[in-house]
Amino acid sequence: MHITDGLIPIEQAAAYWIIALIFIALSVRWARKEMDEMRVPMFAALAAGIFAIQAMNIPIIGGTSGHMLGGVMASIILGSPFAGVLLLTLVLLVQGFVFLDGGISVMGANILAMGVIASFVGYYAYHIIKERIGMIPSAFTGAWLGLFIAAEAVAVMIAAAGTFPLVPAMILMGLYHAVIGVVGEGLITSIVVKAVMQTRPELIASTSKAGVKA
Amino acid sequence: MRKDAKKVLLAGALVAVIISLLAPFLASSNPDGLDKSVITLVGGGDEEKAEEIVSTNDPIGYKAPFPDYSIEGFGKAGEVMAILIGTIVMLIIGIAAGHFLKKS
Repeated sequence: MHITDGLIPIEQAAAYWIIALIFIALSVRWARKEMDEMRVPMFAALAAGIFAIQAMNIPIIGGTSGHMLGGVMASIILGSPFAGVLLLTLVLLVQGFVFLDGGISVMGANILAMGVIASFVGYYAYHIIKERIGMIPSAFTGAWLGLFIAAEAVAVMIAAAGTFPLVPAMILMGLYHAVIGVVGEGLITSIVVKAVMQTRPELIASTSKAGVKA
Repeated sequence: MRKDAKKVLLAGALVAVIISLLAPFLASSNPDGLDKSVITLVGGGDEEKAEEIVSTNDPIGYKAPFPDYSIEGFGKAGEVMAILIGTIVMLIIGIAAGHFLKKS
């Protein structure tokens, strides 16, 4: 769901950049406080893995495809939605400048939707329901919800730009990403979180009570 | 770097490289959810018309070195190389950012 240049006028794109920069600054502050020796290699491995998997689009309904975002996965494993923000920011920078996947003027909007909104919605949903339904089902639900709400945010931003009609955009974006979210985001996130929990339980255990720290 | 930390990095890098090698062959070439919405809602179902309208409104016209994860003239091999380069660059940026930003 990378927004390309030309879908949002430059003034609005600049406003999204400013909001994105505030969250990027907060995510840098999170890293300065919480990123320890053990988390650096996990962060780097997730950055490379998420970049690679975002290049692999999965076919869905109606001649359409989609891929996972990975921010919720990174947030759960590293213990804060700011981890997802920082990681997706780096991925979107490389995707935009090297591969033209997502525009440059609208990169702030992409960071806001796919980095900030997806990671925060997904991580908090996971955090709230974890005690009740368990870690893996909540990782699935959080990942699905994060992608879905991010897609709706993209629909709203492009509608606010006057490029999309609001209701059809929300229906189409919602429908496509509700499907992408099941396999592309929910299933992969649950599998990876389970794998990390089995091989490196101390990593997730040390973060499960930490909650959200900026 | 501690030994178990190194293991995490190596395992992650291996998985990422395997995905990069497979992606050009397994990825769907269908438009993604947003592209499809743009084709439907901006181009009225016409992909070329949608692209023309969007590129007319593009305020900067940025040219990337490997647009759409491909290297011009190199086909599938170029796609494998482009994604592999991106994955390795991401790994380096991830390590660099992690070390630069980590708590002291």
